[in-house]
Amino acid sequence: MHISTSILTWIAAVLTVGIFSFLWKDNPFYKFCEHLFVGVSVGYSIALTWYNSVYPDLFQPLFLKPLSAVPIGRKLLLIIPLVLGLLYFCRFIPKVSWLIRFPMAFVFGWASGVAIPAFFQTNIVRQIQGTLLTPGIFARWDVLLWAIISLVGVVCSVFYFFFSKEHKGALKLASETGIIFLMVGFGASFGYTVMARMSLLIGRLQFILRDWLGVIR
Amino acid sequence: MKFMESLLRIDRRIIYIVMGILVMLPLIRPLGLGVTSGPRATRLFDSVDSIPAGKTLLIAVDFDPASMPELYPMLTAVMRHAFAKNVKVLLCGLWVPGAGLAVQAATEIPPEYGKKYGEDVVYLGWKAGVDAVILGMGENIKNVFPNDYNGKPLESLPMMRDVQRLRDIPMIVAISAGDPGYRDWLLYAQSRYGIKVGAGVTAVSAADAYPYLQSGQLTGLLAGMKGAAEYEVLVQKKGYSKAYMPAVAAMDSQSLAHVVIMILVIIGNIAYFATRKRGA
Repeated sequence: MHISTSILTWIAAVLTVGIFSFLWKDNPFYKFCEHLFVGVSVGYSIALTWYNSVYPDLFQPLFLKPLSAVPIGRKLLLIIPLVLGLLYFCRFIPKVSWLIRFPMAFVFGWASGVAIPAFFQTNIVRQIQGTLLTPGIFARWDVLLWAIISLVGVVCSVFYFFFSKEHKGALKLASETGIIFLMVGFGASFGYTVMARMSLLIGRLQFILRDWLGVIR
Repeated sequence: MKFMESLLRIDRRIIYIVMGILVMLPLIRPLGLGVTSGPRATRLFDSVDSIPAGKTLLIAVDFDPASMPELYPMLTAVMRHAFAKNVKVLLCGLWVPGAGLAVQAATEIPPEYGKKYGEDVVYLGWKAGVDAVILGMGENIKNVFPNDYNGKPLESLPMMRDVQRLRDIPMIVAISAGDPGYRDWLLYAQSRYGIKVGAGVTAVSAADAYPYLQSGQLTGLLAGMKGAAEYEVLVQKKGYSKAYMPAVAAMDSQSLAHVVIMILVIIGNIAYFATRKRGA
Protein backbone atom coordinates (compact mmCIF):
# COMPACT_ATOMS: atom_id res chain seq x y z
CA MET A 1 0.00 0.00 0.00
CA HIS A 2 1.56 3.27 -1.17
CA ILE A 3 -0.67 6.22 -0.37
CA SER A 4 -0.23 9.09 -2.79
CA THR A 5 1.68 12.13 -1.62
CA SER A 6 0.36 14.32 -4.44
CA ILE A 7 -1.87 17.12 -3.21
CA LEU A 8 -3.84 17.04 -6.48
CA THR A 9 -4.60 13.33 -6.05
CA TRP A 10 -5.74 14.00 -2.49
CA ILE A 11 -8.03 16.81 -3.61
CA ALA A 12 -9.53 14.57 -6.33
CA ALA A 13 -9.93 11.69 -3.87
CA VAL A 14 -11.60 13.81 -1.17
CA LEU A 15 -13.98 15.27 -3.77
CA THR A 16 -14.77 11.76 -5.05
CA VAL A 17 -15.61 10.62 -1.53
CA GLY A 18 -17.71 13.77 -1.14
CA ILE A 19 -19.74 12.97 -4.24
CA PHE A 20 -20.14 9.32 -3.14
CA SER A 21 -21.43 10.51 0.24
CA PHE A 22 -24.72 11.34 -1.51
CA LEU A 23 -25.35 7.60 -1.76
CA TRP A 24 -25.83 7.58 2.01
CA LYS A 25 -27.88 10.76 2.10
CA ASP A 26 -27.82 14.35 0.90
CA ASN A 27 -25.35 16.42 2.92
CA PRO A 28 -23.52 19.77 2.85
CA PHE A 29 -20.21 18.19 1.81
CA TYR A 30 -21.87 16.67 -1.25
CA LYS A 31 -23.50 20.02 -2.05
CA PHE A 32 -20.11 21.72 -1.83
CA CYS A 33 -18.54 19.18 -4.20
CA GLU A 34 -21.45 19.43 -6.62
CA HIS A 35 -21.34 23.22 -6.77
CA LEU A 36 -17.58 23.20 -7.06
CA PHE A 37 -17.83 20.81 -10.02
CA VAL A 38 -20.40 22.97 -11.80
CA GLY A 39 -18.37 26.12 -11.20
CA VAL A 40 -15.08 24.61 -12.30
CA SER A 41 -16.66 23.05 -15.41
CA VAL A 42 -18.22 26.32 -16.52
CA GLY A 43 -15.08 28.33 -15.74
CA TYR A 44 -12.90 25.84 -17.61
CA SER A 45 -15.21 25.90 -20.64
CA ILE A 46 -15.35 29.70 -20.70
CA ALA A 47 -11.56 29.99 -20.49
CA LEU A 48 -11.02 27.44 -23.25
CA THR A 49 -13.68 29.03 -25.45
CA TRP A 50 -11.98 32.40 -25.06
CA TYR A 51 -8.42 31.21 -25.65
CA ASN A 52 -9.21 28.69 -28.42
CA SER A 53 -11.91 30.45 -30.34
CA VAL A 54 -12.93 34.01 -29.44
CA TYR A 55 -9.45 35.44 -28.84
CA PRO A 56 -7.52 33.96 -31.82
CA ASP A 57 -10.39 34.07 -34.33
CA LEU A 58 -12.08 37.35 -33.45
CA PHE A 59 -10.51 39.55 -30.79
CA GLN A 60 -6.89 39.28 -31.90
CA PRO A 61 -7.37 39.83 -35.65
CA LEU A 62 -9.97 42.56 -35.13
CA PHE A 63 -8.38 44.64 -32.36
CA LEU A 64 -4.76 43.61 -31.83
CA LYS A 65 -3.29 42.77 -35.22
CA PRO A 66 -2.21 45.69 -37.44
CA LEU A 67 -3.70 46.36 -40.87
CA SER A 68 -0.55 44.95 -42.43
CA ALA A 69 -1.36 41.56 -40.92
CA VAL A 70 -5.14 41.62 -41.29
CA PRO A 71 -6.56 43.57 -44.25
CA ILE A 72 -9.31 46.10 -43.62
CA GLY A 73 -11.80 43.97 -45.59
CA ARG A 74 -11.31 41.03 -43.23
CA LYS A 75 -11.53 43.30 -40.19
CA LEU A 76 -14.85 44.68 -41.41
CA LEU A 77 -16.07 41.15 -42.08
CA LEU A 78 -15.25 40.16 -38.51
CA ILE A 79 -17.52 42.91 -37.18
CA ILE A 80 -20.55 40.90 -38.39
CA PRO A 81 -20.00 37.88 -36.08
CA LEU A 82 -18.98 40.25 -33.28
CA VAL A 83 -22.26 42.18 -33.52
CA LEU A 84 -24.32 39.01 -33.94
CA GLY A 85 -22.61 37.48 -30.91
CA LEU A 86 -23.15 40.57 -28.77
CA LEU A 87 -26.83 40.64 -29.71
CA TYR A 88 -27.26 37.39 -27.75
CA PHE A 89 -26.70 39.42 -24.57
CA CYS A 90 -29.79 41.54 -25.37
CA ARG A 91 -31.67 38.69 -23.73
CA PHE A 92 -30.76 40.26 -20.37
CA ILE A 93 -32.23 43.70 -21.27
CA PRO A 94 -36.03 43.43 -21.52
CA LYS A 95 -36.45 46.56 -23.69
CA VAL A 96 -34.21 45.27 -26.47
CA SER A 97 -34.54 41.53 -25.87
CA TRP A 98 -36.26 41.18 -29.26
CA LEU A 99 -32.90 41.84 -30.94
CA ILE A 100 -31.84 38.31 -30.06
CA ARG A 101 -33.99 37.19 -33.00
CA PHE A 102 -31.30 38.35 -35.45
CA PRO A 103 -28.50 36.02 -34.30
CA MET A 104 -31.03 33.25 -33.72
CA ALA A 105 -32.41 33.65 -37.24
CA PHE A 106 -28.88 33.58 -38.65
CA VAL A 107 -27.95 30.44 -36.72
CA PHE A 108 -31.20 28.64 -37.54
CA GLY A 109 -31.02 29.54 -41.20
CA TRP A 110 -27.38 28.62 -41.60
CA ALA A 111 -27.57 25.45 -39.53
CA SER A 112 -30.72 24.24 -41.28
CA GLY A 113 -29.22 24.82 -44.70
CA VAL A 114 -26.08 22.93 -43.80
CA ALA A 115 -27.60 20.17 -41.70
CA ILE A 116 -30.80 19.17 -43.52
CA PRO A 117 -29.22 17.70 -46.69
CA ALA A 118 -26.48 15.96 -44.69
CA PHE A 119 -28.96 14.69 -42.12
CA PHE A 120 -31.28 13.41 -44.85
CA GLN A 121 -28.42 11.61 -46.57
CA THR A 122 -26.93 10.09 -43.40
CA ASN A 123 -29.96 9.31 -41.28
CA ILE A 124 -32.66 8.59 -43.85
CA VAL A 125 -31.27 7.58 -47.25
CA ARG A 126 -28.38 5.48 -45.92
CA GLN A 127 -30.53 3.98 -43.17
CA ILE A 128 -33.24 2.96 -45.65
CA GLN A 129 -30.53 1.47 -47.85
CA GLY A 130 -29.27 -0.46 -44.84
CA THR A 131 -32.73 -1.88 -44.22
CA LEU A 132 -33.38 -3.04 -47.78
CA LEU A 133 -32.84 -6.63 -48.85
CA THR A 134 -30.18 -6.57 -51.55
CA PRO A 135 -28.89 -9.52 -53.66
CA GLY A 136 -25.63 -9.61 -51.68
CA ILE A 137 -27.53 -10.45 -48.51
CA PHE A 138 -28.71 -13.81 -49.96
CA ALA A 139 -25.13 -15.11 -50.14
CA ARG A 140 -25.09 -16.12 -46.45
CA TRP A 141 -28.03 -17.47 -44.50
CA ASP A 142 -27.12 -15.74 -41.21
CA VAL A 143 -26.79 -12.33 -42.90
CA LEU A 144 -30.11 -12.92 -44.65
CA LEU A 145 -31.79 -13.88 -41.38
CA TRP A 146 -30.59 -10.73 -39.58
CA ALA A 147 -31.53 -8.58 -42.58
CA ILE A 148 -35.08 -9.99 -42.56
CA ILE A 149 -35.36 -9.44 -38.77
CA SER A 150 -34.16 -5.84 -39.25
CA LEU A 151 -36.66 -5.26 -42.03
CA VAL A 152 -39.57 -6.72 -40.05
CA GLY A 153 -38.49 -4.76 -36.97
CA VAL A 154 -38.30 -1.43 -38.80
CA VAL A 155 -41.60 -1.89 -40.66
CA CYS A 156 -43.52 -3.10 -37.59
CA SER A 157 -42.06 -0.38 -35.33
CA VAL A 158 -43.09 2.28 -37.86
CA PHE A 159 -46.58 0.76 -37.93
CA TYR A 160 -46.78 1.14 -34.15
CA PHE A 161 -46.42 4.90 -34.64
CA PHE A 162 -49.03 4.98 -37.43
CA PHE A 163 -52.00 6.71 -35.79
CA SER A 164 -54.18 7.57 -38.79
CA LYS A 165 -56.02 4.27 -38.68
CA GLU A 166 -57.33 2.16 -35.79
CA HIS A 167 -54.97 -0.71 -34.99
CA LYS A 168 -57.15 -3.68 -35.99
CA GLY A 169 -56.47 -6.87 -37.94
CA ALA A 170 -53.17 -6.91 -39.81
CA LEU A 171 -52.30 -3.44 -38.54
CA LYS A 172 -52.77 -4.62 -34.96
CA LEU A 173 -50.53 -7.63 -35.56
CA ALA A 174 -47.86 -5.42 -37.11
CA SER A 175 -48.01 -2.78 -34.36
CA GLU A 176 -47.92 -5.41 -31.60
CA THR A 177 -44.92 -7.02 -33.26
CA GLY A 178 -43.45 -3.52 -33.36
CA ILE A 179 -43.92 -3.22 -29.58
CA ILE A 180 -41.86 -6.39 -29.09
CA PHE A 181 -39.01 -4.90 -31.13
CA LEU A 182 -39.29 -1.61 -29.24
CA MET A 183 -39.17 -3.44 -25.89
CA VAL A 184 -36.08 -5.37 -27.00
CA GLY A 185 -34.54 -2.02 -27.98
CA PHE A 186 -35.40 -0.46 -24.60
CA GLY A 187 -34.01 -3.51 -22.82
CA ALA A 188 -30.75 -3.28 -24.76
CA SER A 189 -30.53 0.44 -23.95
CA PHE A 190 -31.15 -0.25 -20.25
CA GLY A 191 -28.52 -2.99 -20.22
CA TYR A 192 -26.00 -0.65 -21.79
CA THR A 193 -26.97 2.09 -19.32
CA VAL A 194 -26.27 -0.25 -16.39
CA MET A 195 -22.93 -1.11 -17.98
CA ALA A 196 -22.09 2.58 -18.42
CA ARG A 197 -22.91 3.49 -14.82
CA MET A 198 -20.91 0.54 -13.51
CA SER A 199 -17.98 1.60 -15.69
CA LEU A 200 -18.02 5.04 -14.09
CA LEU A 201 -18.09 3.51 -10.61
CA ILE A 202 -15.23 1.17 -11.53
CA GLY A 203 -13.26 4.10 -12.95
CA ARG A 204 -13.56 6.01 -9.71
CA LEU A 205 -12.74 2.96 -7.60
CA GLN A 206 -9.67 2.32 -9.76
CA PHE A 207 -8.59 5.88 -9.07
CA ILE A 208 -9.15 5.50 -5.32
CA LEU A 209 -7.45 2.11 -5.05
CA ARG A 210 -4.59 2.72 -7.48
CA ASP A 211 -3.80 6.43 -7.68
CA TRP A 212 -4.78 7.43 -4.14
CA LEU A 213 -4.33 4.46 -1.83
CA GLY A 214 -1.88 2.48 -3.96
CA VAL A 215 -3.61 -0.79 -3.11
CA ILE A 216 -3.54 -2.03 -6.71
CA ARG A 217 -0.89 -1.62 -9.37
CA MET B 1 -45.00 -13.42 2.18
CA LYS B 2 -43.43 -11.08 4.65
CA PHE B 3 -40.08 -12.17 3.27
CA MET B 4 -41.18 -11.25 -0.26
CA GLU B 5 -42.41 -7.86 0.94
CA SER B 6 -39.16 -7.25 2.75
CA LEU B 7 -37.31 -7.94 -0.51
CA LEU B 8 -39.16 -5.05 -2.08
CA ARG B 9 -38.12 -2.78 0.76
CA ILE B 10 -34.38 -3.44 0.88
CA ASP B 11 -32.62 -0.24 1.88
CA ARG B 12 -30.88 1.11 -1.21
CA ARG B 13 -27.78 1.77 0.89
CA ILE B 14 -27.39 -1.96 1.50
CA ILE B 15 -27.47 -2.50 -2.27
CA TYR B 16 -24.86 0.24 -2.74
CA ILE B 17 -22.55 -1.31 -0.12
CA VAL B 18 -22.88 -4.81 -1.59
CA MET B 19 -22.29 -3.45 -5.08
CA GLY B 20 -19.30 -1.36 -3.94
CA ILE B 21 -17.64 -4.35 -2.25
CA LEU B 22 -18.29 -6.69 -5.17
CA VAL B 23 -16.89 -4.16 -7.65
CA MET B 24 -13.86 -3.44 -5.48
CA LEU B 25 -12.82 -7.03 -4.74
CA PRO B 26 -11.90 -8.06 -8.33
CA LEU B 27 -9.88 -4.86 -8.68
CA ILE B 28 -7.76 -5.90 -5.69
CA ARG B 29 -7.72 -9.63 -6.50
CA PRO B 30 -8.55 -10.20 -10.22
CA LEU B 31 -10.68 -13.22 -11.06
CA GLY B 32 -9.12 -13.68 -14.49
CA LEU B 33 -12.41 -14.11 -16.34
CA GLY B 34 -10.79 -12.92 -19.57
CA VAL B 35 -11.97 -10.75 -22.43
CA THR B 36 -12.82 -11.94 -25.93
CA SER B 37 -12.95 -9.50 -28.82
CA GLY B 38 -16.19 -9.24 -30.74
CA PRO B 39 -16.70 -8.56 -34.45
CA ARG B 40 -17.42 -4.84 -33.98
CA ALA B 41 -14.11 -4.11 -32.24
CA THR B 42 -12.27 -6.41 -34.65
CA ARG B 43 -13.67 -4.52 -37.64
CA LEU B 44 -12.41 -1.24 -36.22
CA PHE B 45 -9.06 -2.80 -35.39
CA ASP B 46 -8.71 -4.20 -38.93
CA SER B 47 -9.57 -0.84 -40.46
CA VAL B 48 -6.95 0.99 -38.41
CA ASP B 49 -4.53 -1.85 -39.12
CA SER B 50 -4.99 -1.41 -42.86
CA ILE B 51 -3.92 2.26 -42.86
CA PRO B 52 -0.57 2.44 -44.68
CA ALA B 53 2.46 3.49 -42.63
CA GLY B 54 3.15 7.20 -42.89
CA LYS B 55 -0.52 8.11 -43.39
CA THR B 56 -2.51 9.99 -40.78
CA LEU B 57 -5.35 8.83 -38.57
CA LEU B 58 -7.65 11.52 -37.21
CA ILE B 59 -8.90 10.81 -33.70
CA ALA B 60 -11.70 13.04 -32.46
CA VAL B 61 -11.60 13.45 -28.68
CA ASP B 62 -15.27 14.25 -28.21
CA PHE B 63 -15.70 13.48 -24.54
CA ASP B 64 -15.15 14.99 -21.14
CA PRO B 65 -13.68 13.68 -17.86
CA ALA B 66 -17.11 12.31 -16.85
CA SER B 67 -16.78 9.63 -19.54
CA MET B 68 -13.07 9.07 -18.98
CA PRO B 69 -13.28 5.51 -17.53
CA GLU B 70 -15.04 4.28 -20.65
CA LEU B 71 -13.50 6.34 -23.41
CA TYR B 72 -9.96 7.27 -22.40
CA PRO B 73 -8.76 3.63 -22.62
CA MET B 74 -10.17 3.56 -26.18
CA LEU B 75 -8.22 6.70 -27.05
CA THR B 76 -4.94 5.34 -25.69
CA ALA B 77 -5.44 1.89 -27.27
CA VAL B 78 -6.18 3.33 -30.72
CA MET B 79 -3.21 5.70 -30.43
CA ARG B 80 -0.89 2.84 -29.42
CA HIS B 81 -2.16 0.79 -32.36
CA ALA B 82 -1.53 3.64 -34.79
CA PHE B 83 1.96 4.40 -33.49
CA ALA B 84 2.92 0.71 -33.55
CA LYS B 85 1.95 0.69 -37.25
CA ASN B 86 3.87 3.95 -37.86
CA VAL B 87 0.62 5.75 -38.60
CA LYS B 88 0.60 9.42 -37.61
CA VAL B 89 -2.10 10.67 -35.28
CA LEU B 90 -3.96 13.94 -35.62
CA LEU B 91 -6.07 14.79 -32.59
CA CYS B 92 -8.88 17.30 -32.44
CA GLY B 93 -12.08 17.71 -30.49
CA LEU B 94 -15.62 19.00 -30.67
CA TRP B 95 -15.99 19.02 -26.86
CA VAL B 96 -14.41 21.86 -24.89
CA PRO B 97 -13.70 19.85 -21.69
CA GLY B 98 -11.98 17.14 -23.73
CA ALA B 99 -8.97 19.37 -24.39
CA GLY B 100 -7.15 18.37 -21.22
CA LEU B 101 -7.63 14.67 -21.94
CA ALA B 102 -6.30 15.01 -25.48
CA VAL B 103 -3.24 16.86 -24.17
CA GLN B 104 -2.67 14.09 -21.62
CA ALA B 105 -2.87 11.38 -24.30
CA ALA B 106 -0.67 13.34 -26.72
CA THR B 107 1.92 13.72 -23.97
CA GLU B 108 1.88 10.21 -22.47
CA ILE B 109 1.52 7.80 -25.41
CA PRO B 110 3.93 8.95 -28.19
CA PRO B 111 7.15 8.56 -26.10
CA GLU B 112 6.31 4.84 -25.58
CA TYR B 113 6.96 4.39 -29.32
CA GLY B 114 9.68 7.00 -29.72
CA LYS B 115 7.26 9.31 -31.54
CA LYS B 116 7.65 13.06 -31.46
CA TYR B 117 5.13 15.85 -31.27
CA GLY B 118 4.86 17.68 -34.57
CA GLU B 119 6.31 14.79 -36.56
CA ASP B 120 4.08 11.89 -35.56
CA VAL B 121 1.32 13.46 -33.51
CA VAL B 122 -0.40 16.85 -33.49
CA TYR B 123 -3.24 18.10 -31.33
CA LEU B 124 -5.27 20.76 -33.09
CA GLY B 125 -7.38 21.72 -30.09
CA TRP B 126 -10.98 22.75 -30.03
CA LYS B 127 -12.97 25.31 -32.03
CA ALA B 128 -16.53 26.51 -31.70
CA GLY B 129 -19.07 25.55 -34.37
CA VAL B 130 -19.31 21.81 -34.89
CA ASP B 131 -20.50 21.59 -38.50
CA ALA B 132 -18.50 24.64 -39.57
CA VAL B 133 -15.36 23.11 -38.06
CA ILE B 134 -15.74 19.77 -39.88
CA LEU B 135 -16.75 21.34 -43.18
CA GLY B 136 -13.91 23.84 -42.87
CA MET B 137 -11.43 21.02 -42.22
CA GLY B 138 -12.76 19.41 -45.38
CA GLU B 139 -11.70 22.49 -47.35
CA ASN B 140 -8.47 23.34 -45.55
CA ILE B 141 -7.49 22.35 -42.03
CA LYS B 142 -5.21 25.39 -41.67
CA ASN B 143 -8.12 27.76 -42.25
CA VAL B 144 -9.90 26.36 -39.20
CA PHE B 145 -6.84 25.65 -37.09
CA PRO B 146 -4.06 28.03 -38.17
CA ASN B 147 -2.21 26.99 -34.99
CA ASP B 148 -2.18 23.82 -32.93
CA TYR B 149 -3.37 23.71 -29.32
CA ASN B 150 0.00 25.02 -28.09
CA GLY B 151 -0.14 28.00 -30.44
CA LYS B 152 2.43 26.69 -32.93
CA PRO B 153 1.57 27.49 -36.57
CA LEU B 154 0.56 24.31 -38.40
CA GLU B 155 2.91 25.25 -41.23
CA SER B 156 5.84 24.81 -38.85
CA LEU B 157 4.85 21.23 -37.97
CA PRO B 158 6.38 18.65 -40.36
CA MET B 159 3.45 16.23 -40.00
CA MET B 160 0.98 18.78 -41.32
CA ARG B 161 2.79 19.25 -44.64
CA ASP B 162 1.07 16.15 -46.04
CA VAL B 163 -2.24 16.81 -44.35
CA GLN B 164 -4.00 19.76 -45.92
CA ARG B 165 -7.64 18.70 -45.81
CA LEU B 166 -9.83 15.83 -44.58
CA ARG B 167 -9.42 13.95 -47.89
CA ASP B 168 -5.73 13.51 -47.03
CA ILE B 169 -6.79 11.43 -44.05
CA PRO B 170 -7.86 7.83 -44.78
CA MET B 171 -9.85 7.31 -41.59
CA ILE B 172 -11.42 9.05 -38.61
CA VAL B 173 -12.01 7.43 -35.25
CA ALA B 174 -14.52 9.50 -33.32
CA ILE B 175 -14.47 8.75 -29.61
CA SER B 176 -17.71 10.30 -28.47
CA ALA B 177 -19.66 10.69 -25.27
CA GLY B 178 -22.72 12.11 -27.06
CA ASP B 179 -23.45 15.12 -29.22
CA PRO B 180 -21.44 16.55 -30.87
CA GLY B 181 -19.68 13.34 -31.76
CA TYR B 182 -19.48 10.48 -34.23
CA ARG B 183 -22.83 11.46 -35.82
CA ASP B 184 -21.40 14.82 -36.85
CA TRP B 185 -18.35 13.17 -38.37
CA LEU B 186 -20.73 10.89 -40.30
CA LEU B 187 -22.97 13.80 -41.30
CA TYR B 188 -20.27 16.09 -42.60
CA ALA B 189 -17.00 14.21 -43.02
CA GLN B 190 -18.31 10.93 -44.41
CA SER B 191 -21.35 11.98 -46.40
CA ARG B 192 -19.52 14.88 -48.03
CA TYR B 193 -15.93 13.68 -48.27
CA GLY B 194 -16.44 9.91 -48.16
CA ILE B 195 -13.97 9.29 -45.35
CA LYS B 196 -14.16 6.06 -43.34
CA VAL B 197 -15.45 6.68 -39.83
CA GLY B 198 -15.10 4.36 -36.86
CA ALA B 199 -16.54 5.13 -33.45
CA GLY B 200 -15.94 4.55 -29.81
CA VAL B 201 -18.95 5.46 -27.72
CA THR B 202 -20.17 5.31 -24.15
CA ALA B 203 -22.31 2.30 -23.36
CA VAL B 204 -25.33 4.57 -22.84
CA SER B 205 -25.23 5.69 -26.47
CA ALA B 206 -24.13 2.36 -27.97
CA ALA B 207 -27.65 1.23 -28.88
CA ASP B 208 -28.08 4.40 -30.97
CA ALA B 209 -24.87 3.69 -32.87
CA TYR B 210 -25.76 0.17 -34.00
CA PRO B 211 -27.95 1.24 -36.96
CA TYR B 212 -24.97 3.13 -38.42
CA LEU B 213 -22.83 0.05 -38.03
CA GLN B 214 -25.42 -2.22 -39.62
CA SER B 215 -25.80 0.13 -42.59
CA GLY B 216 -22.04 0.16 -43.09
CA GLN B 217 -21.67 3.86 -42.32
CA LEU B 218 -19.51 3.08 -39.31
CA THR B 219 -16.44 0.99 -40.04
CA GLY B 220 -16.36 -0.42 -36.53
CA LEU B 221 -17.68 0.28 -33.09
CA LEU B 222 -16.34 0.16 -29.56
CA ALA B 223 -19.18 0.21 -27.05
CA GLY B 224 -18.35 1.32 -23.53
CA MET B 225 -15.61 -0.05 -21.31
CA LYS B 226 -16.13 -3.54 -22.78
CA GLY B 227 -15.36 -2.18 -26.25
CA ALA B 228 -12.23 -0.49 -24.89
CA ALA B 229 -11.15 -3.77 -23.27
CA GLU B 230 -11.71 -5.65 -26.54
CA TYR B 231 -9.51 -3.19 -28.42
CA GLU B 232 -6.82 -3.31 -25.73
CA VAL B 233 -6.76 -7.11 -26.04
CA LEU B 234 -6.48 -6.94 -29.83
CA VAL B 235 -3.62 -4.45 -29.60
CA GLN B 236 -1.73 -6.62 -27.09
CA LYS B 237 -2.41 -9.87 -28.97
CA LYS B 238 -0.72 -8.44 -32.05
CA GLY B 239 2.22 -7.39 -29.89
CA TYR B 240 1.67 -3.68 -30.50
CA SER B 241 1.70 -2.78 -26.82
CA LYS B 242 2.68 -4.11 -23.44
CA ALA B 243 1.17 -1.23 -21.51
CA TYR B 244 -1.21 -1.57 -18.58
CA MET B 245 -4.77 -2.19 -19.80
CA PRO B 246 -7.18 -0.27 -17.53
CA ALA B 247 -10.34 -1.43 -19.31
CA VAL B 248 -9.31 -5.10 -19.26
CA ALA B 249 -8.45 -4.76 -15.55
CA ALA B 250 -11.97 -3.50 -14.92
CA MET B 251 -13.79 -6.29 -16.76
CA ASP B 252 -13.93 -8.70 -13.80
CA SER B 253 -15.63 -6.02 -11.72
CA GLN B 254 -17.95 -5.21 -14.58
CA SER B 255 -18.97 -8.86 -15.00
CA LEU B 256 -19.55 -9.32 -11.28
CA ALA B 257 -21.60 -6.11 -11.12
CA HIS B 258 -23.76 -7.31 -14.01
CA VAL B 259 -24.40 -10.64 -12.26
CA VAL B 260 -25.50 -8.77 -9.13
CA ILE B 261 -27.79 -6.49 -11.16
CA MET B 262 -29.34 -9.49 -12.93
CA ILE B 263 -29.95 -11.26 -9.60
CA LEU B 264 -31.48 -8.10 -8.14
CA VAL B 265 -33.76 -7.63 -11.17
CA ILE B 266 -34.92 -11.26 -10.98
CA ILE B 267 -35.47 -11.10 -7.19
CA GLY B 268 -37.30 -7.80 -7.55
CA ASN B 269 -39.62 -9.20 -10.22
CA ILE B 270 -40.34 -12.41 -8.29
CA ALA B 271 -41.10 -10.43 -5.13
CA TYR B 272 -43.25 -7.94 -7.05
CA PHE B 273 -45.37 -10.61 -8.76
CA ALA B 274 -45.66 -12.68 -5.57
CA THR B 275 -46.90 -9.73 -3.50
CA ARG B 276 -49.17 -8.48 -6.31
CA LYS B 277 -50.83 -11.90 -6.62
CA ARG B 278 -51.46 -11.90 -2.89
CA GLY B 279 -52.88 -8.39 -3.02
CA ALA B 280 -55.24 -9.31 -5.89
